[in-house]
Amino acid sequence: MNPLNKIIFLSAFLASGFLLILLSCALYNNFKPLWVILIFLLAPLPNIVSSSIDNNRDDFLRFNSSDMNNPSPVQEFCKSLTGFLIVSGVALPLTFYHTNLVEFGSMLMSIVGGLIVYFDITIFIWFFSEEEDENDDFNF
Amino acid sequence: MENSNHLFRFNLSMLHLPKSAKLRSFGVYLAGGLYAIGFWSIIDAAIYSKTVNASIVHVTFVDWIPFICSTLGMLIVNSIEKSNLFVDSNNSFSGSGGNTNAWAARVILFLGFALLAGGLAGSFMVFILKFLLKQYTFPTLGMGVSNIVCNACIMLSCITLWLSQNIEDEYSYNLAL
Repeated sequence: MNPLNKIIFLSAFLASGFLLILLSCALYNNFKPLWVILIFLLAPLPNIVSSSIDNNRDDFLRFNSSDMNNPSPVQEFCKSLTGFLIVSGVALPLTFYHTNLVEFGSMLMSIVGGLIVYFDITIFIWFFSEEEDENDDFNF
Repeated sequence: MENSNHLFRFNLSMLHLPKSAKLRSFGVYLAGGLYAIGFWSIIDAAIYSKTVNASIVHVTFVDWIPFICSTLGMLIVNSIEKSNLFVDSNNSFSGSGGNTNAWAARVILFLGFALLAGGLAGSFMVFILKFLLKQYTFPTLGMGVSNIVCNACIMLSCITLWLSQNIEDEYSYNLAL
């Protein structure tokens, strides 16, 4: 699959995710689920930041710097922050639904749309980091 | 057992944690997720008390104190450098400075665990004193239950993070003496 097709498909999925979240707001005329977009856009960010910090660090006197043998505290903090943000993105619409701030359909659409957006960004990063170095793990 | 410097007959090092870097990072993700469940549980209780609450009981600052204690405890426990904790008292390589450092680390770790346990106990106390003893029925009782869920999830998250940070890769050299 050439990169152009990948980009086209991924952007189509991304657009459908955004469409679902916007529909969940607009159909019920209640714009609280828009925060889900913000959370899921922030979710891949800590790993990007930590990997760029790790790449720019001085590798002198560190054996096996590229693999995950001894992850730095910054990296681990960013990982747990990622987990926190993903679960937050799912839990925010659930909380809204439980407290009668949004309807059930709105909750469902915003959760599904947010997960689509998140996994789309993850797959995008994974595809294009795979071409640079072959043996990279799931970088989500 | 030929070497008898263990305190108990069953020593804990029989029980090896599985060694893999993927499991370790999965554990770290899981810890973040569990913390988020706890966090959103108490946020949910607070919003619930403001919006669809049918009773006169509301979530006040008292309900937030256990959450704050647990969070502080988790922060303290997991920001300690763990290599400081296991310094032997008769280890001549660590010098004189390592010993006091280990003591300080142990005291701070104790403080952190005390805060975590105090958070969980406090959430039970709030649940019993504020909700259970006054015989509220379930929609109101749910606010106390979610407080307990919150603190239990934070404690679980702390345990998961601690265990997964002790997982080492099988190819990593243990340079700590």
